Amino acid sequence: MRRSALRDFFAANGAAFEARAGVECARAVADPAAEYAMVRDAVAVSDASHHQVFAMPDAGAIDVLDRLVAGNVARIRFGRVLHTFMADAGGALVADCYIANNDDEFLVLCESLEDDAAIRARFLAAGRDAGLRDLSESHAVLSVDGFKAWAVARELFGADVLGLPYLSIERYPFEGATVRLIRAGKTSEFGYLLVVPAAQAQVLAERAFASAKKNGGGLCGIAIHDDLRLEGRFFNIYAEGAAVRDPLSLGLQWMMDFEKEEYPGRSALLRRRAAGFERKIVGFKAPPGAKVRKGSTLHDGGRSVGEVVAVAQSRVLGCTIGLAMLPVAAAYSGLEFAMDASDGPMVTTISMPPIMPRSLTVKIDEM
Amino acid sequence: MSEQNQKLIERRREIIARLKAELIKRLNLPFQPDDLHEDVALLGSGLGLDSLDALEIVLCVENTFGVKIADDNIAVLRSINTLVDFVMEQKPNGGAS
Repeated sequence: MRRSALRDFFAANGAAFEARAGVECARAVADPAAEYAMVRDAVAVSDASHHQVFAMPDAGAIDVLDRLVAGNVARIRFGRVLHTFMADAGGALVADCYIANNDDEFLVLCESLEDDAAIRARFLAAGRDAGLRDLSESHAVLSVDGFKAWAVARELFGADVLGLPYLSIERYPFEGATVRLIRAGKTSEFGYLLVVPAAQAQVLAERAFASAKKNGGGLCGIAIHDDLRLEGRFFNIYAEGAAVRDPLSLGLQWMMDFEKEEYPGRSALLRRRAAGFERKIVGFKAPPGAKVRKGSTLHDGGRSVGEVVAVAQSRVLGCTIGLAMLPVAAAYSGLEFAMDASDGPMVTTISMPPIMPRSLTVKIDEM
Repeated sequence: MSEQNQKLIERRREIIARLKAELIKRLNLPFQPDDLHEDVALLGSGLGLDSLDALEIVLCVENTFGVKIADDNIAVLRSINTLVDFVMEQKPNGGAS
């Protein structure tokens, strides 16, 4: 089990931990409602060191990475980030990847279903001599998310942070080292991932925490991110991704380049695309009080037609929401299905995302 | 499938098909209609469209379905499904203009 360089900092602040893809992660720090409010209304700092992080020098990186992921790495402009995925030979999801073109290097952050060694082996198999550096243990990843996340980033690295567009990368000096900052985030509020050397990780976390507190926020764990992602309809490989594994049924075609000639799973995915997939993922909301769990079945006219693959509490809607796999012919929003039995509580399929986050109502570069 | 659900599906399917075809054509998207999940984010994450594309989407919906999207109604532009919801609310008895 890999331990984050930020483990002791979060433990000292009362965090509870869980294992995610072979990495010990700070699951929760405060009450879930308080953590949620911090992100939606202010800012919360969390340990995102469950990401596997790889760096590769510019020369040769494009060829290697293009052989690994479904997106088109050659099209990433300097300073920008591609969101794509890695699949296995059968076209099943392995990792959700950010790939950043950081001038003289490519940086890859993976949220994966495999442990560090297995992911490293996939990279090495694609390009053993490409100068690959595995930063997963030597660095930590700090996540700063929320409506006021920009204020923390600005205090840490200066006002030019505000000019960074979504899905971009920049390097900043910090305590004699370099922090790689990616503007990304999967909460639907402003978000930054800070890749920091382990030796500077605690100092960065302390300063980010202090700045977050000044802005009405604090620390949070990764568990609340699962709820925030689902509410904002950001893909979560640890929830619906792990349950379904098929990128086509999950609606991840936007992460793929269908013209690319080579990457693991390409043939299988193109075959399934040509044949037409039978089921796909749909959002739903449950009535107050209904007990919804992953694996709950959805019924129509007395027969089971679908299954719940992800569940979260939507604090904006005031009810449980989730994602279900349904036959394509029934995968439309606005329909009612009985849950767990033909006389069970009725859930309603909904259009996603069901909320309008505050961060989408303002322009960050005008703050 | 109940008769009510079936009617809703047929209406929704027709609007989705028209909207996807128009979006692919107008925005030159490198996808087939079935590649576009109805919940995928249109702007920023997901398809990663920009503010000029947003304007094109507004014009597309207005011209195809004869409904007007207010300038400040950005919530409607979040996904194909939110656009379809808007069209169905504005034209409860029919789809295309």
